[in-house]
Amino acid sequence: MSSIPASAFLALALILFCIGLYGALTKKNTVIVLISIELMLNAVNINLVTFSKYGVAPSITGQIFALFAISVAAAEAAVGLAILIALYRNKKTVNIDEVDTMKN
Amino acid sequence: MELLNVYQNNYLIVFVFLCLGVLLPVVALYLGKLLRPYKPSDAKYTTYESGIEPFHDSRVQFNVRYYIFALMFVIFDVETVFLYPWAVAYDKLGIFALVEMLIFVAMLLIGLVYAWKKKVLRWI
Amino acid sequence: MDLETLKSFEWSVMTPEFIILGVAALLTLLDLFLPKKMDRRILGWIGIVGILAAILSVASLLNVESTSILDDSFTFDAFGKSFKLILLVGSALVMFLAISYDAKEGMEDYRGEFYYLFLSALLGAMIMTSSGDLITLFIGLELLTVSSYILAGIRKHNLQSNESAMKYVINGGISTAITLFGMSYVYGLTGTTNLFEIANKLAAVTNGQQAYLLGLAFLMIFVGLSFKLAAAPFHMWAPDVYQGAPTPVTAFLSVISKSAGFVIVIRILISVFYNAAPTDNGEGILFKMHDYLAVIAAVTMIIGNVVALKQTNIKRLFAYSSIAHAGYILVALTTMSSNLLYSIWFYLLAYMLMNLGAFAVIQVVTEQAGSSKISDFAGLARRSPILAVLMGILLVSLAGFPGTAGFIGKLNIFVGAFYGTPHYVLAAIMIATTVISYFYYFGIMTQMFFRPASDERKLNIPFGIVVVLLVAVVGSILFGIMPNIALDFLNNLH
Repeated sequence: MSSIPASAFLALALILFCIGLYGALTKKNTVIVLISIELMLNAVNINLVTFSKYGVAPSITGQIFALFAISVAAAEAAVGLAILIALYRNKKTVNIDEVDTMKN
Repeated sequence: MELLNVYQNNYLIVFVFLCLGVLLPVVALYLGKLLRPYKPSDAKYTTYESGIEPFHDSRVQFNVRYYIFALMFVIFDVETVFLYPWAVAYDKLGIFALVEMLIFVAMLLIGLVYAWKKKVLRWI
Repeated sequence: MDLETLKSFEWSVMTPEFIILGVAALLTLLDLFLPKKMDRRILGWIGIVGILAAILSVASLLNVESTSILDDSFTFDAFGKSFKLILLVGSALVMFLAISYDAKEGMEDYRGEFYYLFLSALLGAMIMTSSGDLITLFIGLELLTVSSYILAGIRKHNLQSNESAMKYVINGGISTAITLFGMSYVYGLTGTTNLFEIANKLAAVTNGQQAYLLGLAFLMIFVGLSFKLAAAPFHMWAPDVYQGAPTPVTAFLSVISKSAGFVIVIRILISVFYNAAPTDNGEGILFKMHDYLAVIAAVTMIIGNVVALKQTNIKRLFAYSSIAHAGYILVALTTMSSNLLYSIWFYLLAYMLMNLGAFAVIQVVTEQAGSSKISDFAGLARRSPILAVLMGILLVSLAGFPGTAGFIGKLNIFVGAFYGTPHYVLAAIMIATTVISYFYYFGIMTQMFFRPASDERKLNIPFGIVVVLLVAVVGSILFGIMPNIALDFLNNLH
């Protein structure tokens, strides 16, 4: 079964990360930006789990790290969405480029 | 070499299945179109809602409360992730992990009490 | 791990963390069960008592040999002790600011959260100072940043506060992901998250491909952390976030968050990358990346100081000023001199004192004026001469004049730039940008002393502000005249 090389997983993670970074930096809709950030964090999880199985020195620590990364990502997403709702109530938009009351 | 053949045979099955999956609905719909009579009327074009007359657009905005519940669920759901490895390896980890888990659950409880007192759990 | 191993750990070294955790949990419950009508400031006072208790417990542990418990994931060493003191004292001062903070609108229902979120953020920063493991380092960092997101947006009905929090979440999230991606490569190359083991394993890396991957990991971690430090070119979020957040939160972000950011940078850079993947002449990857660090330090100093010149909003101005100060500290990091730790620690101490003092004055003035324009400072000397003089002293210290702590801090870094291989360009940029910074700091002075006041009302100064100002001004002058107190203190730690 182990015919898939580790580099395939790493490449997948890298591609996911790049898609996430692109989305986070270019999209206008804040929800999509938050989703892109989740994508980047999930790429990290793929990396960690891959390394914990096929790494230079395989160990279980990577999976533990991934668990922590998952829970932190959930907390961050929850806080981000809650702040977005508060913003939406005051401003009636979720587009990040329309939120610019502090430019000078 | 034999292994490769097994692999290829497996993909052949997938391919046949794919062809069947695409062809079946196409053939069925086309046959239906050939066989059925064509008599359109207004009533036939309305959305079917189990016998009730449709009364507004099918896309509605959900109440924001659902979202608060969902957030609560996500947080507690993800925190449970830590309980599983602990439960699986309970015998090996011993008393230390038990104490740690009790502290962890106590902290989660504070969070739950917070949500409860802030009336997140109540549907108004 | 059985009960015997558990008992054999020296749990006493974690007392400061336990105190802060306990007080934060207590405040949460108190806030929920106290009657609605009761003034929530009492929670703030309990928080201050808790922080003072934690300071005392760190002080009582100062003579303890450096210990590490829980498989090295918690290390109580001189580094941890010294930076923990800065964070604790800074947070105590921020709490005094928070108690005196009276927002016009937007946080009537969230007074309690305001206090204990500071504590949880502080807990995250403290964990970072004494963590010897990538996982705890990361969790500490996230505890700090997630709490700060909420703090920045705590004025729920104020649009600027919402906006500031939203921008902070997005930038913080991206930077977290980038840092974590770099960390995952470091883990992959070593198979462990323990910083000391990582350092040992990386020192043995000779494979070119692995060294390349390590370089990539280093750059990603450094870019991610540069966001947290608000170092140019990753500083864009700072002005908006600082301007929109409530003033005590701005003070917290600019002092505690930034110090914590430098803590994690030092931890990772020095302990992980210093000897990693050495070349033939024994230089680790940090030396190969040295030029990038130098460029970031130079750009940060220049952008911070130059853009600050044209600001009209005082909080934005201090955002750029804090970017500039991060640049000075990055110079110390770049030069890697033998007095690296001392110069960074001293600079952060001085910066904490003078910046928190300045924010105390800013809070009084902006609250009275209802806006945060620099012109609101006009005629401060007539409205409240003492406040103006104290602010003057703090500004002089921020600008780095002799006789103040700010000067000694800059001097340490400047001298450090000539240890080993001299860094003439960086030192020159540091001097030039310091001169530029005189213009905007003295711009505020001119407003205070030579412009007529548009608003002649006397300022009432709450008790908390008085405490912060006293500590800040006395500290700035004391460490300016007798910096050897701090040096002796640091040298006697072990």
